[in-house]
Amino acid sequence: MVRFKSRYLLCELCVSERNSLQLLEERVIYHAVRAAVNRAHGDYGSAVCNIGFSVKYVNAHTGVVLLRCRKGHYRLIWSALPFITGIESRGQRVQCFLNCLHVGGTIRTCQKFLVRYSTRQLHRMLLHCTSEAERREVRKAVMSFSLKKRREDGEEEEEEEEEDDGCGAGVDT
Amino acid sequence: MSGAKDRMRHKKMRNQPSSVTYSSPDWSGSQKRNGGDTPHSGRSFDSSSHMRGGGPSPSDRYHQQGGWMRGRQAGAQAYAQDLPKCLTASSFAKARAAEVNAMLKAVNKTTGSCHVFGALPKHMRRRAMSHNTKRLPCRLREGALKMLEKSQQSAQKGKKELSKNKSRKARRRHGNLLLEFNRRQRKNKWLETHIWHAKRFHMVKRWGYCLGDRPTQKCYRACYRAMSSHCLLQDLSYYCCIELQGPEDLLLRSLSRLTSKETGPTFAASLCLSGRREGSVMLYRPDQYPSQALGPVLFLWRPCTKGSAHRQLWIWAHPTVKQDLLPELKAVCQCSEAVVPSATAAVPVPAPVPTPVPESTQPSPTGQPTSRKRKRTDGNPDGQPAKKIVGDGTRSPTTPVSWRSPVSGIVISDLSMEIVRYRLIGPLSHTVLSETLEPATDCDAESKSKSCAFWWPEHCKNQDNMSLHQQQSDIFQLFKGVYSTAEFPAGTVLGLTVDDPRLTLPRKKDKALPNLQKAEGVDEDRLRDISLRGVPEQCSHSALWEQSVRDNVTDNKISEQELNRMKSQLLVPGSRLSPVPLQGRIPVLLVHQPGKQQGQEMASWGTGWDLLLPKGWGMAFWIPLLYRGVRTGGLQVGLKHSQNKGVAHFPHDYPDCPAGARFQQEQEMDLLEKFKRRPPSKRANYIKHGCLAPFRCPWQQLVEEWEEIVREGGDAGKSPEDTVTGQPTQLTEMLSHPANSSAPRGSFAVLRNRKALKQLSAWCRPTSSKGQRAQRGSQTAALCPASVASLQTAHPSCLVWVRLSLLTKGHPVLHAMVCVPTADDLQQLLKDPHGSGPQEPQHKDHFKSRIKRRKKGHKTPSSAPKNESSDPNKEQGSDSTQSLPMDQGSSPTRCLSPEPSSTPILTVSKEPGIDPTNSASSGENLTIGLWPKPLPSVTSHCSRLTLGWITQGDFSLTAGCGEALGLVSLAGLLQMLLKQPAEQRGLVLLRNPASLQYRFAKINIEA
Repeated sequence: MVRFKSRYLLCELCVSERNSLQLLEERVIYHAVRAAVNRAHGDYGSAVCNIGFSVKYVNAHTGVVLLRCRKGHYRLIWSALPFITGIESRGQRVQCFLNCLHVGGTIRTCQKFLVRYSTRQLHRMLLHCTSEAERREVRKAVMSFSLKKRREDGEEEEEEEEEDDGCGAGVDT
Repeated sequence: MSGAKDRMRHKKMRNQPSSVTYSSPDWSGSQKRNGGDTPHSGRSFDSSSHMRGGGPSPSDRYHQQGGWMRGRQAGAQAYAQDLPKCLTASSFAKARAAEVNAMLKAVNKTTGSCHVFGALPKHMRRRAMSHNTKRLPCRLREGALKMLEKSQQSAQKGKKELSKNKSRKARRRHGNLLLEFNRRQRKNKWLETHIWHAKRFHMVKRWGYCLGDRPTQKCYRACYRAMSSHCLLQDLSYYCCIELQGPEDLLLRSLSRLTSKETGPTFAASLCLSGRREGSVMLYRPDQYPSQALGPVLFLWRPCTKGSAHRQLWIWAHPTVKQDLLPELKAVCQCSEAVVPSATAAVPVPAPVPTPVPESTQPSPTGQPTSRKRKRTDGNPDGQPAKKIVGDGTRSPTTPVSWRSPVSGIVISDLSMEIVRYRLIGPLSHTVLSETLEPATDCDAESKSKSCAFWWPEHCKNQDNMSLHQQQSDIFQLFKGVYSTAEFPAGTVLGLTVDDPRLTLPRKKDKALPNLQKAEGVDEDRLRDISLRGVPEQCSHSALWEQSVRDNVTDNKISEQELNRMKSQLLVPGSRLSPVPLQGRIPVLLVHQPGKQQGQEMASWGTGWDLLLPKGWGMAFWIPLLYRGVRTGGLQVGLKHSQNKGVAHFPHDYPDCPAGARFQQEQEMDLLEKFKRRPPSKRANYIKHGCLAPFRCPWQQLVEEWEEIVREGGDAGKSPEDTVTGQPTQLTEMLSHPANSSAPRGSFAVLRNRKALKQLSAWCRPTSSKGQRAQRGSQTAALCPASVASLQTAHPSCLVWVRLSLLTKGHPVLHAMVCVPTADDLQQLLKDPHGSGPQEPQHKDHFKSRIKRRKKGHKTPSSAPKNESSDPNKEQGSDSTQSLPMDQGSSPTRCLSPEPSSTPILTVSKEPGIDPTNSASSGENLTIGLWPKPLPSVTSHCSRLTLGWITQGDFSLTAGCGEALGLVSLAGLLQMLLKQPAEQRGLVLLRNPASLQYRFAKINIEA
């Protein structure tokens, strides 16, 4: 297949105060990364990284960020990431740093890695739980993405699909 | 397209997690834009998804407010307060769990195509996986099956499921095939040669039949050559035969109401009445002579038997004429009583029961027990032999086909499809016939003595019949000494009984050529006698007239299979089968068709013979005829034949008949559809070419307008127009009165009065030009205003059918305009006889801008005074007709005066466009390059007055120049003739619809 090959950087945004995570936005991350690249690599780096650079996914709950850039120059961005010390959002400056978890060739691999990573984290958390309520909560969370649950989800999904198809056909005709 | 693209993208992305952010309220606008097509269901990973199991949580509310979407969300300010101040393990875990869920979904579900095998890695995919689910791994089969079912259902929704409950072998079995054929014939009947034709011709469904239009091979010239030097074969079985039986005087009296002596010989013409000749006559509705024509028919009387006034008459009519004619005939003959078909028509076969008898009597080696057994099993199991379906098998047996008059005893029966009619055209058609047909051999004494189910032995018992047969075959033998078919007198009828032509089928296809040396022995005197007086009266007898004989012959036809078996059992392979099986004697009728009778050049071109056969024998004669090297033609060749012959072709040249009117409507629809199929930039703009009606001919309007012009001519008598002849005022006065009183609005007729046509044809000839016969018209009345006026009063609102031959160049096409040349044009022609002719100045297309404007803004209001404009329009139209005849000799720019008058018409036609209810219909009416429905004056639209239109036109291979057949207005023609100088009389201009060039042509009226 002939396509532009990309690299995806799966990062975790670490903040000192959890509340500030709510300020997380794609735009904010985008500008922060660009500024960092500009500072670290100058105009050349900034221009090279500008092509095909985008923020694919941001999760304000967990602070997971997925960046996309062209394969040829992903090292420029990668190397600039440690220099991000804070992000500016809605007039507030939040101290933070980006922790790169994974560098992948497709979104799919990044997603797979994220699943593995989060699961491992939760399992580890289960061991360190202090109170019984906490333990229960975490166990519930872990169970929520167990196999059985997934299958149910899948079935629901398929039903929806059928409905959708029916609607689509109706619209077509 | 973008909608479909969006849907595709949506489908592709629906399993992908979208970003989860909290946004400030000032992003709400963009959120709406982005979230427009986002479903609110928990597709994406969101804060509520992990709450599914538990009870409602505060975060659910936010989810309801605006679904999660990549990008910005509204309602975050409410969330800010709800956020816990410290980090708890549970919330941390929940958030992680939700994200993992979303990611899992994204990872497990495949993106892109919805095929199941998309989940498989590429190296595990196999060919045809979507068809054969077994190629998939077990775990994916279930889903794949579901998908397969779904796709099949949707496919079934689209097209009807084909019911192939029978195997091909079963479908192709003879009986089933016949049933299928009968089913397919329900709407349009097939001729007996249909399958032969369908393999070689472009078939058209017309007049309730499937007819061959033109061969698929290129053979335009070859067909012409066949017609002019050899022989061309046409299947005319679709012509309907109506049989009338009754006392002669009664028949003639009732039929005379349908005809008029003025159009030529009628049913009572003595030559035809004796049965020696076939006649043709024009039929009208009873007692309506000049108007309400029905159409032309051919008729044939059965030669009278001695001492009996009971006569039999066949009327051969075109199918479209038949449907109008049959009710009229019934009314005229007072035949109201439908005869139950089972009583009259001996369709139930008398033959099957005694079939084995003749076979056993035959001394030929047919009488093998095996074959007889087979024949029995073939014919008997369901009591219906397969050959019953021959002919019109689709007609229900209970529909009445004959009607009897309780008063006069006249019986009308509809014999359509009962008799096969083949037409052979060409000078050597008699040679083809004499090679193909052989007079029936006498049957031996042995079979004569026995009683027999076949008609021939019975027929042979009568000595009179045998002597008659001898006479007929003697005459038929004379055919070999005839040089050309044209030597026979027109319409000669010869009855004959012939052997089965399949028995004398030559080994190879060869061209039948006359061998005059061989025919030296033919008596010269008798030959001359035949060519002068025709066939003696008694020789026109034929057993074909007898219904019982026809049925007998049809039912007892030896099948092809049987015949081949008999041939294969001959001792010497390839020798003739003898003696001829008793079934193989067929009564036929040969009817001579006259060729070109009028005009000077190529006299008797296109002469030929018609061969009438009993039904069922069509293919048995067709193939042997083809083996004599004839060419076959379809409907188009028939058209060309009549065009070259210079006779009117039935539905095309008879606009006053109902069938002709219907034909014109159909033709208009066809042509319009064809026109609209072209891309607009490739269409001819007929408005710019000054052609009002390229697809149809508004005859009625033409006739009315010319009468108006003639009448107006009287008022404007002082105008400079009559410089040429000095039109006297008394003529126009004479004209105006009858035109006022007797012109029945709403009907026009084609002039068919022989006397009037003769006079016209004499007038049309230039008195001295081109070295053609000079001073021929001296015996008729000279062309003067008085005689013209009298002719015109006698025939108000008439069209004249004319033949036009172009003087120099030019290729006339359908619906070309016949125009009156101005004095200048004629002068120009005298100066430069080889000049190309005048040009029409290009017209302006007022509609184009309107259509464009319509396209841009659908409701651009225009033409405010629309209601007033409709009335002045009519006045202006009449103004233009008044002014135009005076413009005849003047410059074309002045003649274009109707153009401004046409603009109000535009507004009229535009008017419904403003009305929102009618806008759609008017949008259809307005096509670029075509005039909308209310046409302006058709005569005076161009710089030359229009006389009429062409109905057929082509380059004539017989004449070597362009020739056209058309109709012109009688009033206009007379006016034109009056004004033209004597040496240039009868010259008109022809202009094709998509051309601006006028060409000079000469009018020939043939009477």
